[in-house]
Amino acid sequence: MVKTILVVDDEPDIRESVKMILEKNGYKVITAEDGDECLNIIQQTKPDLILLDIMMPGTPVIKVVKQISDIKIAFMSVVRISEARKMGLTEQENIVDFFQKPFNVTDLIDRIELLISD
Amino acid sequence: MDGKKFNLKNLFLSKLSRKITILFLIVGIIVPLFAVYYFYIIIINVAPETLTSETVMLLRNSVILIVIIVTINAGVIGFLFSKSIIKSLKKLYNATKEIEKGNFDVHLEIFTRDEIQELADAFNQTVSTLAKIHEEGKEIDYAKNEFLSITSHELRNTMTPMKAQLQMLEENYFGKLSNKQKESIMIITRNADRLDKIIADFLEVSRIETARLKFNFRETDIAKVIKEIVQFMDGFAKEKNIKLELNIEKLPMIIADPDRVSQVLRNLINNAIKFSNERSKIEISAKLKNNQILFSVKDYGCGLTPDDQIRIFEPFYQVEGTNHHRHDGTGLGLAICRGIVESQKGKIWVESKPEAGSKFYFTLPLCPVREIEPIKVLFSQKGVIEKKIREEFQTYLGPLGIGEFKELKGKNLITKDDLFQYIDFLIKNYILSQDQGLNFKNKIGKIFGDENLQYLKKKNEFKGIVHEDYYLKKI
Repeated sequence: MVKTILVVDDEPDIRESVKMILEKNGYKVITAEDGDECLNIIQQTKPDLILLDIMMPGTPVIKVVKQISDIKIAFMSVVRISEARKMGLTEQENIVDFFQKPFNVTDLIDRIELLISD
Repeated sequence: MDGKKFNLKNLFLSKLSRKITILFLIVGIIVPLFAVYYFYIIIINVAPETLTSETVMLLRNSVILIVIIVTINAGVIGFLFSKSIIKSLKKLYNATKEIEKGNFDVHLEIFTRDEIQELADAFNQTVSTLAKIHEEGKEIDYAKNEFLSITSHELRNTMTPMKAQLQMLEENYFGKLSNKQKESIMIITRNADRLDKIIADFLEVSRIETARLKFNFRETDIAKVIKEIVQFMDGFAKEKNIKLELNIEKLPMIIADPDRVSQVLRNLINNAIKFSNERSKIEISAKLKNNQILFSVKDYGCGLTPDDQIRIFEPFYQVEGTNHHRHDGTGLGLAICRGIVESQKGKIWVESKPEAGSKFYFTLPLCPVREIEPIKVLFSQKGVIEKKIREEFQTYLGPLGIGEFKELKGKNLITKDDLFQYIDFLIKNYILSQDQGLNFKNKIGKIFGDENLQYLKKKNEFKGIVHEDYYLKKI
């Protein structure tokens, strides 16, 4: 079955680039431009993974994350993982990975495959 | 500025109190003595026939009594009077101590309606001006770091889709590329990577400059920290077949921030690996020396020219002339190391010979400096100060002075104390005359902010020989 990934990022170029990479590798991709849109989308469909940016306008990511408990989340951000940890973003069970921007394409694909393989 | 604490003893026997009390006592004894003596003479002259031995005794007793009472009164009034002055002075003293600690939130309340109150008012105004300057300085510092942080984050955000697209092209996501296209993409990618590294280092700088209050001091087993970092770096060393040799003496547990120590070590070892030839070795050692832990990282790589040795800790300085690492770094790594080490009152320096390798040293005080100095990596005053020192060297020692200065700088011996020691050495060896040496010291002192430093000449005549004694006096 084709896996679905929700890409949430306020930068359209990043959103599109990640979408292109993932689609090329056989995933179905939905995009959202902030946390609120992300929450709206997951009420209708349930993706296998959410790739979530940390610094976005609108509802703070820490609040967005608290409302999601049954979908795997991987952060993708320019902030460091140590800073994310300090912000309290890495405590939840369903947070599974952290991609440092700028990311490496091959690395991204390898790790995502590992994250959502059955 | 120590040992001058106000305690009870000081309050009672302070110099000012003593002076005023004695003054009052003198006045209190002399004035009634004169008055009574005068009175005595008048009585003897006016009515000598009425004086019996009893009246004389009575007169003498009352004179003594009056003198004693007046004396005690004068003493007590003098003491109380002086105490009222001392009280205001003590307030002033305490306020200046607070400011020294960096607390500008002091306001003197002295209502004596005299010059002391005027002084206190002037003091209050000065403090509020100082506080304003201090606040502005902090704001500018904050704004600078904020600016650095935001721009770096923004830049990295921009880099992200660029690098992603480049990689997609490179990995034939959009069809196979011709060799020419591949080559072009490779050049773009290489420079994008380099740009990204610079941005990452900028971020690191802003992080470090703002992180001075976030030093996390705890009891640390330094030996363990070193072993861990060496183990971690061993993987990278193996890629070049380099052996990491560890030589740690028995070290005490100290209070330090292990993350900072390992950050500096990691940077130095990383550099050593980068500049080493394949199949060589790197020696890492740590030992106790003069209340400090002395770390060193020695490689047998290409070494550094004397000029490189001096400039290598400057931000963005890159060793040139060799081919294999032009694109490897951003030139901020050692500047960051220097920032971290010096903020804890340690020193960092290098000894090296071209083609023979380099040995980097840094020190860490055994007892930690809890007041971390602001870490300045990019915009330090240091450069300005160094330039001024170099000019003074040139003035006093001629063209040779620059070489001397470079040598001292290479050994990281350009603190005020180091320079004073060096000038003493010059005087001792008759390279400079006493007068020249002292003027030199005076100039150096000024550069370090000793505006009020003055040299007084004191002539001592001793065994017929006139010699001049100089000493420093702060006014």
